Amino acid sequence: MAKNSVEINASSNPSTDTSIGFETMRQKKRKSQLTWYVFLLPSFLGILLFMVYPIVESFRLSFFQSNGTIENFIGLANFKLVLTSATFWNSVWNTFFIGIFQILITIPLGFIFASLINSTPRGQNFFKVVYFLPNVTSIVAAAMIFQFVLHPEMGIVNFALEAVGLPSPGWFSDPSTSKWGVIFLAVWHWIGFVIIICLANLQAISPEMYEAAKIDGASGIQQWFFITIPNMAGTFAFLLITGWIGALQRFNEVYVLGGPNGSPARSIQTMGAFIYERGFTGFEFGVASAATYIMFIIILIFTFINLKVSKMKL
Amino acid sequence: MMLKRFFSKGSLLALAFMFILVAALVGCSSDSGGSSSDGGSSNSGGSSSEGSSSGGDGEWAGQTVKVQLIGDFSMEDSTDPITGVKTPGLHVLKEEFESQHPGATVEFIIMPWEGYTEKTQAMLTSKEADVYQMPGIADFAAQGLLEPLQPYIDADDEFSLDIFIDNQVDGWKALPPESSELDIFGLPFLGDARFITYDKQLFDEWGVEYLSEYPTMEEITEKAQKMTGTNPVTGEQNYGIWFRGDWSSAFTLINAAEGLGGKWGTGFAWDEIEFQFNSPEMLQGLNWLLDMQELAPEGIVSNQGSEKWLTKDNNIAIMLNQGPGDLVEQTYAQGLEDRIAIAQEFKDDSGKGGLFAGSPITIAKDSENKDLAWEWLKFATSDFAQKYVYETGAMPAVKSAAEWDNVKEVSELMNPVFEAMSTPYTPRYPWGSAQPRFILTSEIEAALTGERSAEEALQKAQKESTEWLENR
Repeated sequence: MAKNSVEINASSNPSTDTSIGFETMRQKKRKSQLTWYVFLLPSFLGILLFMVYPIVESFRLSFFQSNGTIENFIGLANFKLVLTSATFWNSVWNTFFIGIFQILITIPLGFIFASLINSTPRGQNFFKVVYFLPNVTSIVAAAMIFQFVLHPEMGIVNFALEAVGLPSPGWFSDPSTSKWGVIFLAVWHWIGFVIIICLANLQAISPEMYEAAKIDGASGIQQWFFITIPNMAGTFAFLLITGWIGALQRFNEVYVLGGPNGSPARSIQTMGAFIYERGFTGFEFGVASAATYIMFIIILIFTFINLKVSKMKL
Repeated sequence: MMLKRFFSKGSLLALAFMFILVAALVGCSSDSGGSSSDGGSSNSGGSSSEGSSSGGDGEWAGQTVKVQLIGDFSMEDSTDPITGVKTPGLHVLKEEFESQHPGATVEFIIMPWEGYTEKTQAMLTSKEADVYQMPGIADFAAQGLLEPLQPYIDADDEFSLDIFIDNQVDGWKALPPESSELDIFGLPFLGDARFITYDKQLFDEWGVEYLSEYPTMEEITEKAQKMTGTNPVTGEQNYGIWFRGDWSSAFTLINAAEGLGGKWGTGFAWDEIEFQFNSPEMLQGLNWLLDMQELAPEGIVSNQGSEKWLTKDNNIAIMLNQGPGDLVEQTYAQGLEDRIAIAQEFKDDSGKGGLFAGSPITIAKDSENKDLAWEWLKFATSDFAQKYVYETGAMPAVKSAAEWDNVKEVSELMNPVFEAMSTPYTPRYPWGSAQPRFILTSEIEAALTGERSAEEALQKAQKESTEWLENR
């Protein structure tokens, strides 16, 4: 009996030790979590103050006629005004036109450049730096330089076109070519990023796959089509989605090139510029807020479509 | 137990880090509220607050006036990168004002022109300053955010509105809330004007007579036509005329219509305004601009083609709708004083025409030091401060400027500028910084780029502007 009792006591001791040990671990975990929450607090406050509050306030403003100080509740009138505004839909068209062609040109071109750089035995880092440089250049400065590069009379591009006997367009002084001027600028600025991302993926593809293909008699082009491109799907999807969101938010370069009303003749006014024009030059904060939420919904819908098309898992 | 856990080493370290961070941020920020900082600190980019203390006793002891200024002002002395001219810092004004008003302190809040309207609105809402430089005075007066100045003017025997260049005070009058009578809410501080400039050397080379003081559209057309082509002396391609087809084209067109006896419309308060953007005079004016475009270099709708203006290689004879800005300084810095001349914009039958521009200074309704703010307004429009304004490259708004020695030295350019400042269209265009301006500008661009005919463009501008008014 005594033995049994001792055995019971003995057997109960480890269980008590485990419980104490378990609690200590939980305490440590909690303490550690608390510490990290303290570290997160400044960022969290920043997010609350500079993101959550403006988002909520902007939503509230979209139901008011507001110039910043005087406000009148007008229900959905701002949304109606924006959705029936030809100027707004023109800005949507401009945004999509510039965005679609930027993506259609930059991703394939960047991928080709990345493939060429990847297959170069020497000077890879040099090419990476050269192509990435535009991406670290301020888009505002780049836009100002592009005004000179695409100057209708003194620009180097028109000089080159004339030298080979081609017609020289008016670029930013002609509504039919101004969007292409912005597209060229956007392609030049973004292509370095696309190249670097593609290169990272290219270098992660197993060389064994290429070796096996070579043994089976596949040519370089066949390897590129049947090994490289299928293995790049995830990267293309990532570039498509990030590029698309960036394209729909386009503002800085068109503001520098054409002002808030997207001169000439609103041909390069994007949704962002429309919002700026109404909000910050005309003091129509309610209209600008409603346009912002409509733009948010447009981005949401097209990002959803992009996710479905690219089959990307978040 | 909780307390023990909370005050554990890690948490304490984190808290300590946060306190240090907050202290560092507070320590690094500029002092805008107190009266103990030094006025000589630097202005870094966007906006900055500069303060200092004169301290001591005196009539104004303990009172501070916060003054918001827009543009290239700086507390420290600076050197113009183009002209090499040294510009004194705002400390000059501060020292003089504080010596004239013992015990008072001036603090400056400097902001760039970029987005000045929304920043001013935010500052007014948060009661950030007592005195504001305020080109958009009409919007703020209508919100009841500004102090009416007539009572101060009436009560002050030392002050008279006669010191200002003609039309300047009238031009800045604005409507208070729920009233239809214009009132004085601001005093002219920075002058501005629009005029026509031309290059006399190109006129000489082409054998064309200089522009008259008040040229007509026919005169401009005839002379610009003669000077477009290959220069008979230099063999270079010359253009008869240039104007901005984008940003300021609405004002160029309105001025052309004024020259033909038309106007932009009527009214001043939004509920009284009626646009006349599609009037016969406006149509004739836009057709004239389309004709002038043929004599201009490519790129006027994207602010291109005038890169050689104010250089020795200039290839443009006549520039429409120009402002004083850096004109005088740059003309002299480039050694072009014998080449550049000024003619007046088109005027209507009453002798008025062209954009009224510049900056008035105002007192915020919520200011707690209105008497000292009024003292600042008087000081800022005195000869001392106005001479300072001129030395910084801006235009003074007082009549006496014409008699200053440094103005007389450049009187050939300055006298026509003063003349232009006294004859703009007043009251100024109330829609000048609102949506109708952008609507009209975009439609002028559409006409200039062949997207629409002049008539269609103006009809569309009229329709959209009227709809905008109705939806306000």
